Amino acid sequence: MFDRAKFWRYTRYAVLTVALLAAGFTLYLDIRVRSEFEGRRFALPARIYARPLELHAGLRIAQIDVVRELQEAGYTQGPREGEPGWFANDNDWLEVAVRPFVFWDGMQPAKRVRVAFDSGAVKAVQDAEGRELPLVRLEPLAIGGIYPANNEDRVLVRLSEVPKQMVQALIANEDRNFYAHHGFDLRGIARAAFSFFTGHGLQGGSTLTQQLVKNFFLTPERTISRKVTELFMSVLLEIHYDKEEILETYLNEIYLGQDRDRAIHGVGLASLFYFGKTVEHLTLAESALLVGMVKGPALYDPFRNPQRALERRNVVLRETKDRGFATMEEYSKARAADLGVNQKAAMGTSPHPAFLDLVHRQLRRDYDEADLRSEGLRVFTTLAPRVQTAAERALERKIAQFDKGKIFGEPGLEGAVVVTDTQSGEVQALVGGRDVRFRGFNRALDAGRPVGSLLKPAIYLTALADPAHYTLVTPIDDGPFVWKSRGAPDWEPTNYDKIFHGAVPLRMALAHSYNAATARLGTDIGVEKVLTTIKRLGIEREMQPYASTLLGAVDLSPLEVAQMYQTIASGGFRTPLRAIREVTTQDGRPLKRYALAVEQAFPPEPMYLITAAMQGVVREGTAQSLRNWLPPEIAVAGKTGTTTEQRDAWFAGFSGDRLGIVWIGYDDNRAARLSGAGAALPVWGEMMRALDPEPLALPKPDGIENVLIDPASGLRADFACADAVELPFAQGSAPAERAPCASAVGAAVEQIRQQAKSWMERLFGK
Amino acid sequence: MRILVVFLAAVIAGCATGVPAPSQVLVPAPDQVPGPGPEFGPPLGPGPGPESAPLPAPPAHTENLAIAGLLIGARTDAAAGRLVNAAASLERALRIEPRNPRLWQELARVRLKQGDYAQAESTAARSNSWAGSDNALRADNWRIIAHARNARGDAEGAKGALEAAERQR
Repeated sequence: MFDRAKFWRYTRYAVLTVALLAAGFTLYLDIRVRSEFEGRRFALPARIYARPLELHAGLRIAQIDVVRELQEAGYTQGPREGEPGWFANDNDWLEVAVRPFVFWDGMQPAKRVRVAFDSGAVKAVQDAEGRELPLVRLEPLAIGGIYPANNEDRVLVRLSEVPKQMVQALIANEDRNFYAHHGFDLRGIARAAFSFFTGHGLQGGSTLTQQLVKNFFLTPERTISRKVTELFMSVLLEIHYDKEEILETYLNEIYLGQDRDRAIHGVGLASLFYFGKTVEHLTLAESALLVGMVKGPALYDPFRNPQRALERRNVVLRETKDRGFATMEEYSKARAADLGVNQKAAMGTSPHPAFLDLVHRQLRRDYDEADLRSEGLRVFTTLAPRVQTAAERALERKIAQFDKGKIFGEPGLEGAVVVTDTQSGEVQALVGGRDVRFRGFNRALDAGRPVGSLLKPAIYLTALADPAHYTLVTPIDDGPFVWKSRGAPDWEPTNYDKIFHGAVPLRMALAHSYNAATARLGTDIGVEKVLTTIKRLGIEREMQPYASTLLGAVDLSPLEVAQMYQTIASGGFRTPLRAIREVTTQDGRPLKRYALAVEQAFPPEPMYLITAAMQGVVREGTAQSLRNWLPPEIAVAGKTGTTTEQRDAWFAGFSGDRLGIVWIGYDDNRAARLSGAGAALPVWGEMMRALDPEPLALPKPDGIENVLIDPASGLRADFACADAVELPFAQGSAPAERAPCASAVGAAVEQIRQQAKSWMERLFGK
Repeated sequence: MRILVVFLAAVIAGCATGVPAPSQVLVPAPDQVPGPGPEFGPPLGPGPGPESAPLPAPPAHTENLAIAGLLIGARTDAAAGRLVNAAASLERALRIEPRNPRLWQELARVRLKQGDYAQAESTAARSNSWAGSDNALRADNWRIIAHARNARGDAEGAKGALEAAERQR
């Protein structure tokens, strides 16, 4: 029997339940809308900058290199009155309208500068009125970021910064009733419903508020229930926030394209990305292009589909004019303009992922990963774009040449490069593999490879620190050598050329990288002592106190090798390698500075001697072929390294201004059949040649004297010895005995010279 | 005549060290520069007696306007207690002239003021490594080192450094 009362009771319960559920759902949505929208905190990536280029009279840089860097930073050629971000040039002059930039030490306003060039150097820097400027800091290149989930990138803008006509064009094209509706637009919904029921699918009809809700809170699937949720939330959003707040958030949220793996969000970043200028400087035509892209950033991508993008822009312009937001005159002018987009190489999350990786790791010591990905920190690094480019090009070209057709099979030959400043320890360039844009295995940091002969300078340095026993001319026996130690197989190092050379002067044993002589020298001094030297040079990794360690049976990464050679290149002052100079908050408040730090790890005299010996490696030893790239007066100091079966090819060397480390080999440790001199050195040479290196001229310490030596006997020579060479010695350590070639007259002359010298010293107080 | 003397001095310095001498032309610092005032004297704190006080910073010797500007800025900042900025300006200058011993010395003075005595000592030593035959500069560096050692409680080391300073005469 049908019980009427029961029916109504259940119906009432059901209605109540539904109402409660609906209320609960609304409350839940309301909490979500308010909590998530309240702070409107977009996750902002940490933004990473290269070092700023600092122009001053006397700086050695060609105009083309400055222009290249300006173009990379989005500066366009040709003057544009009233806005910065362009340059103009002729043969001798470069005029730049520098954009304003917030450096770590404060805001630098926009300014005009004129730079005069003369034979590969800056001759003068002036302001627009022709007044001399001592130093001008250009805006640094953005070289990537540390991104939030989905690699979303954006630059926040305030509504007041956005051109009025852009907002009007947006409203005219996307949501005409924006200022009137309460989050949804009945006419729009009617249109959408019509389209749905006529079989055109669920589409369109969204207000800006709905679009924002969709992007901000929801997943992109298109279902009725999601649509209903969107509607609810839109209404709630409109109840809690005013139109201006919603609009501003919309403009910062909207997705406007893709740069490789980086997603371009918001009109702030889109203006910079497509036009190379800040949003307030966009013209009507440029604004309309961005507004048009809202409908389909890929479809209307002005780089890939310029024609379609242009047509879409013109539709937007017409609609803007028709709604009364642009005059006929403005409309015609905008319509006639070309797209105006600033085509530059895709950057993705970074064009230099290996360097960024290093920066990221150094940042992680001091910052939380979540903060790095969301707080919009600004990180000023030491990357020198010109050096980075030279390193990338040299490695790419040479590897392609050595590995033509990958003759030794897949995967192909690999390599890594590290370049630092010899004085400050700043890392100027870092390449982690032959595919320089690849974000992945970073060989410069993570490939621990046997270093072979690269450790030899540490052995010779240990010897030369003891001038009573070792000088550059001390004979070292390069005869067959056997090292016996209990519990280990005998160790019998052989030479690269399979020949033993008998007694050789110490400097020649290093120059030619003789293994037997070096092993004998190292074991005579004591392995432990050499390991102490290596540690003091800056290698933190623990090493086994085996004799074989001396010949480089030790795995180090190129960066570790760079740290070790840095100490030699800076004359015995250990300087921690740095990739970061400063970090600021999003709005420029300084957070941290990574200061230059030095520590004297060795007295100057042995450093001077080992550097002279390493210059010998390049002048007359295993790295002689460097003369194919650099003139001898650069006096580079270096060392080649080749490991067993030529699995690893290394070259480490420095000029006056830069230290470079190059490694070449296979990831799977196959025999590369390439030597340090044959493979790594050419990369180094090609790279450094492009960088116009400064000659290496170490200051001669007090405790060093130069003495003429007869190479044949290793004894003191004079003008009568035809082949005599001048070599540095720790004071009093040079051989006293005169070479057979020296003349009696020479002895007398020498005595007079000594007297004259002491007389001069007394006169000048030195 | 003065130019000739400076030139000769540069040549002699060059001969004596085998290293290109740093810029020697004197650019007098403008009057308003708060240069070698008491702020550049010994930092407050225990240790250093008056005899170990480093000499006041000498005027900026450089032909490079960029360096001169940064040096003036660094001194202004140091005098006003903005030591981080002062150090940063000096590092900027060092990127332009890494072999200028005066810049290294100036940085050592800032480190001293910052109370970073280890860095003050090694930075002064770095200055010494580029000082060539500039004995006055070396003597100043040794006084900075003495000061730093004293501040770290190494009286013996400080004494040695002061002796080294005396030997530069």
